[in-house]
Amino acid sequence: GREHEAMEIPTVLADKIHFIVNNVTKETLRDKAKELKKYVKPEFFPFLCKYIVVKRASVEPNNHELYGNLIDLMGISKLKKELTETTYYYIKILLKSATDDGSRSEKDDRRLLRNLGSWLGCITLAKNKPLRANMLDLSDLITDAYEHHRLIVVIPFVANVMKACKDSRVFKPPNPWLMSMVSLLREVLDIPQLKLTLKFSIEVLFNDLGINIKETSASNLLQGRSRNRNTDTEQQQTRLPPPTDGKEAPPPQ
Amino acid sequence: EINLMEELTLKGVTQYYAFVDEKTKVQCLYTLFKKLNINQAIIFCRSVNRVELLAKKITELGSSCFYIHARMAQNHRNRVFHDFRSNGCRNLVCTDLFTRGIDIPTVNVVVNFDFPKSSETYLHRIGRSGRFGHLGLAINLITKGDRFNMYKVEQELGTEILPIPSTIDPKLY
Repeated sequence: GREHEAMEIPTVLADKIHFIVNNVTKETLRDKAKELKKYVKPEFFPFLCKYIVVKRASVEPNNHELYGNLIDLMGISKLKKELTETTYYYIKILLKSATDDGSRSEKDDRRLLRNLGSWLGCITLAKNKPLRANMLDLSDLITDAYEHHRLIVVIPFVANVMKACKDSRVFKPPNPWLMSMVSLLREVLDIPQLKLTLKFSIEVLFNDLGINIKETSASNLLQGRSRNRNTDTEQQQTRLPPPTDGKEAPPPQ
Repeated sequence: EINLMEELTLKGVTQYYAFVDEKTKVQCLYTLFKKLNINQAIIFCRSVNRVELLAKKITELGSSCFYIHARMAQNHRNRVFHDFRSNGCRNLVCTDLFTRGIDIPTVNVVVNFDFPKSSETYLHRIGRSGRFGHLGLAINLITKGDRFNMYKVEQELGTEILPIPSTIDPKLY
């Protein structure tokens, strides 16, 4: 699919795009957007989007707002749509590939995923646009990760996506979608001996969104779901029975 | 005085050189702006005059840049540096002001527009006072007259500066 769409582009054009993205700042956004619009014809939108998402947004969290506004100011709805879709596409890939085996590449993947989480939030929630549930359902993602012991991959990502709500007029309390997510995260917080890093990322998120943990109530979406392996909780965890058959959890769909 | 050199490391920094004429240096820098993925960059020059000239040149190219040098008032320098740190601009042109290495995580490219004379200066410019795993790219523009200096720096720091390849793996910085 998408891999093929991002066709090879002339070197001169690639150079121009690189130069503009390397040098855009808040003050020059409008000019650079105009320039970019002049050079980049619709057939190169997939290339531009892939470049922004894969080479830039995934490693430059400090520039998310800048790059998001750059594309926005070009004022082409087809391009904006392409950008969001490209973002979902690469998030899906990373959600599949990111594991918790402790390897170096695994840490890189999780870092890229966290960055793309902030990026997604920046181009959607922060701009009062909802996430597309058919592309990415955060609630399903968490319940699935709970069952397959992948909270360590998913929670920091979700927290980063949702952090963008603090810049939104729509997605703030008492927005029902936001409140349902808050309840679910609250339930995650209550998982016995949850890893500290996960605890912190949720608490920091609540703090950023101005949500008092004491005033939240936990959902019951995780109750009664089975878990096979134990990696999201601290080592000394003894409450849950150890895996009996030694089988790995099935891979997420 | 504490020996600051020991705190700095070249670990994780990929170092390249491009062999150029004095006249083609700006052109070379322009090419780097077109080929690399730069989050923020610091570009070092040998003198105050050259800093101002270069900053003017690269602004004319349409690039985003601030400059600082030793002849500016301290409060002015602090201001510029602070603005650069908080992402107000993408490139900073400067003389040797940083005595402890650059500790800005978003700077992923350092350019020695003029190659330094001593390995200590080189280390202060390129070295990271850094946390482990922090990658970076250092590009040295080398003229004919710099080549002995470069050899000396490589020897004294026990490091290797490679010729710049036509494409650079983004994983390196």
